[in-house]
Amino acid sequence: MSNKFIGKSVKRTEDKRFITGKGRYTDDINLPGMTHAYILRSPYAHARIKSIDTSAAAAMQGVVTIMTGDEVGHYGVPCGWQVNFKNGDTMKEPPHPLLVKDKVRHVGDAVVMVVAESREIAQDAAEAIIINYEVLPAVTDASKAVEAGAPLVHDDVPNNICFDWEIGNPKAEVDEAMASAAHITTLEFVNQRVSPNAMEPRSYIGHYDGVYDKYTLYTSTQNPHLIRLLMCAFVLGLPEHKVRVVGPDVGGGFGSKIYHYTEEALVTLAAKKTGRPVKWTETRSEAFLTDAHGRDHVTKAEMGFDGDGKIVGLRIKTFANLGAYLSTFSTAVPTYLHGTLLQGVYTTPKIHLEMTCVFTNTTAVDAYRGAGRPEATYLLERLLDLSALEMGVDPTELRLKNFIPAFDGITQPGYQTNVALQYDSGNYHGVLQRGLEMLGYEDFRKAQNEAAASGKLLGVGFSTYIEACGIAPSAVVGSLGARAGLYEVGQVRVQPTGKVSVFTGAHSHGQGHETTFAQVVADRLGIPMEDVDIIHGDSDTVAFGMGTYGSRSLAVGGSAIMKSLDKIIEKGAKIAAHKLECSPDDIEFADGKFTVKGTDKSLGFGDIALTAYVPHVYPANLEPGLDFSSFYDPTNFTYPFGCHIAVVEVDKETGATKVKRFIAVDDVGNVINPMIVDGQIHGGVAQGIGQALLEGVEFDGNGQIINGSYMDYAMPRADDLPMFELDRQVTPCPHNPLGVKGAGEAGCIGSTPAVVNAVIDALWSAGHQVKDIRMPLTPERVWSAMQ
Amino acid sequence: MELTGTHTLNASAETIWAMLMNPDTLAKVTPGISRLELESEGVYKAIAEVKIGPVAGKFEGKAEVANAVAPQSFTLRVVQNSKIGNVNADINMMLKPLSDSQTELSFDGKADMSGLLARTGNRVMSGVASTLTKQFFKNFEDELSTAG
Repeated sequence: MSNKFIGKSVKRTEDKRFITGKGRYTDDINLPGMTHAYILRSPYAHARIKSIDTSAAAAMQGVVTIMTGDEVGHYGVPCGWQVNFKNGDTMKEPPHPLLVKDKVRHVGDAVVMVVAESREIAQDAAEAIIINYEVLPAVTDASKAVEAGAPLVHDDVPNNICFDWEIGNPKAEVDEAMASAAHITTLEFVNQRVSPNAMEPRSYIGHYDGVYDKYTLYTSTQNPHLIRLLMCAFVLGLPEHKVRVVGPDVGGGFGSKIYHYTEEALVTLAAKKTGRPVKWTETRSEAFLTDAHGRDHVTKAEMGFDGDGKIVGLRIKTFANLGAYLSTFSTAVPTYLHGTLLQGVYTTPKIHLEMTCVFTNTTAVDAYRGAGRPEATYLLERLLDLSALEMGVDPTELRLKNFIPAFDGITQPGYQTNVALQYDSGNYHGVLQRGLEMLGYEDFRKAQNEAAASGKLLGVGFSTYIEACGIAPSAVVGSLGARAGLYEVGQVRVQPTGKVSVFTGAHSHGQGHETTFAQVVADRLGIPMEDVDIIHGDSDTVAFGMGTYGSRSLAVGGSAIMKSLDKIIEKGAKIAAHKLECSPDDIEFADGKFTVKGTDKSLGFGDIALTAYVPHVYPANLEPGLDFSSFYDPTNFTYPFGCHIAVVEVDKETGATKVKRFIAVDDVGNVINPMIVDGQIHGGVAQGIGQALLEGVEFDGNGQIINGSYMDYAMPRADDLPMFELDRQVTPCPHNPLGVKGAGEAGCIGSTPAVVNAVIDALWSAGHQVKDIRMPLTPERVWSAMQ
Repeated sequence: MELTGTHTLNASAETIWAMLMNPDTLAKVTPGISRLELESEGVYKAIAEVKIGPVAGKFEGKAEVANAVAPQSFTLRVVQNSKIGNVNADINMMLKPLSDSQTELSFDGKADMSGLLARTGNRVMSGVASTLTKQFFKNFEDELSTAG
């Protein structure tokens, strides 16, 4: 493998079309005869539908069809993961109908779809529809929803509990360890609900071609094949070979575009019914109401230490809010993507998590950049820094004392945690030490003391995180309840002229796959990058795929491509050996040339490609062509980790927090394109700081979102952020061919607790010994904490 | 959203009571209400148009005068629907005579909003409410001086 492109910050080839406004997103696609849909949604969080009168709307000129729950309410979207109650009972899985006919369960629940000649006509017609609601009391807080007498979101789900669940050591062992502790740090906190806010709103076009009896769905999704599988097999009962799903350019997902949304099936049904293409594009207001939200945990956590500061136990009780309906991944997020990360990077011998997953009258909650792992990291890293403050020890020394020792996963075995996973390779001391060097830790503490003396509040916060990425080994997730395998598919088609088309089941919606994957392919084949085309997002051209989420594209999708490249080279060597009259074993491939070992006799990659398609002089019993497809199913998750450090200054008078410095030392394994990895870290850190200081979906007592627009929902902006100081350590992944671990979520997982820890540290430096301030840390909340 | 206001008006409680019970006057002084049509005893069809900053909409609904104790107090129940959201308000109006020619008119109550009205933020809506309150009392004074 040559190193002409790998490890270089190659400029992103896709950016030309994006920055010149020529990206082709779903809403940019207009088909002949296309109609437009508008969805009339519930203005109430919880209400019984007494009647729906669509007669005036149906009579309006330009209205093509109107659909209600009576027509399509028997179809519903499924949940992709089954999790069982502690007692073995199956989780409660109430239906999520495409359109509701009995009662609405959150603000934005879909009730009627109007299809018309234009979007404006559809919206005007929707306003002429009269729905008579009987408004019911609503519940939005997961910890309140389980109380006796709370409103029931689904009439047949007692106490609104979807399931309860536990992981770790037996509870009694953890209780015993905690009883022996010299110090216990207790932290009760809320990891608040956030809205994903992808730049491109969701957009779908349904199309039915009666001539070929074939459906096409254009969708702003992160995984077209998964949508096809779910919609065909579990929602509409359509034959999969008659359905094409295309995810063209997609403008950001952060998890929110993984899931199979009701509107995808609705436009598909409406297209068949009307015989015309049907487009639906959400408004930003709808995005706040219907794009699956993230986080929303209410937690009580206790960490016990012995007299030397070694962690002896961790005991946690959490209520996770799932919203009104189960979204595709929602049940996996607070369990298998959260509970399994509670070992962190520490040798904690006894861990127990008790998790209760709850329905409420709110928008569905599902994976959002990091998905369960930011919640685990927030819990652990807040406890570490707070424990250090409470015990009067240095937070970095406390970490160094409790870190799992470095291991490479090759000569040393992986690390078996108490919460099911086995870490692949890690060096946690290394990233913290590098972070401290960059910070100038001793100087910082001096500056902090001087600042405190002059009435200024400086604080530093640490976060040494770990995540499980490269989702996921199919057998493992299957045993955990996943209703799909999580391998990936990579097809490499060498064209007769030696140009290469690569088909990947991963899907790029901002990650730069067209560049990164081409760097890998070009180096492996020793050809120029411009000879490689990366094709993704179309179920008719790409054999299969599971899409992009969980920082999996390169670790799993890239590995599938590597497997196909190996097959290409192996076959190429046979063709070369035949033409060069030697044994295939005597052929070596390097820099795009098949060479007879120890000689200067060689054939170029292009010559072999042409021979494969014009097989005149060709080995007997070898098929023509040079085109291989591979499925790669990983043997383990990958485990990126890192150290994030925030330095903040808190204004004593106003409580306003300014992030002065942000240091991130991440170890994401081998790096193909450093610029793209830096970009991923930057974006993730911005989102993580956003959660710490600015963002949060707020409900009023009636279940109304009261900050459902950019007037009130505070997104992080450039002037909220310092220049990030980034560095990297490389501990390769021992179990995939590229040695890569994944970088998409790291920034978002590590950063949030570092910022909150820094604010708490600043307050303690002035004698305000507060344990927690509820995120987002608005000036008012920080100021109140100081009074 | 909480709604409160207090203002001293230069008229007797009986005069003010009479004005409040007259749908034409009530429509005139209440900001945004363009028309009140009597539907049955104490129940009006209310047409309102409100435009302040980002909040603009035409509301149609019902206003009901309940628990009337002349000339001291009544409850104004308002249910308004519009394409930008619905409002449900219960407002207690109180008249306290200060002298024969001075009355303190006060109200307190709560308005529940749904839809876009709720989402675009209580921050904006609180400002809107306080502006509307000021307008209400100013209109009332204007109406009193015209009548006087």
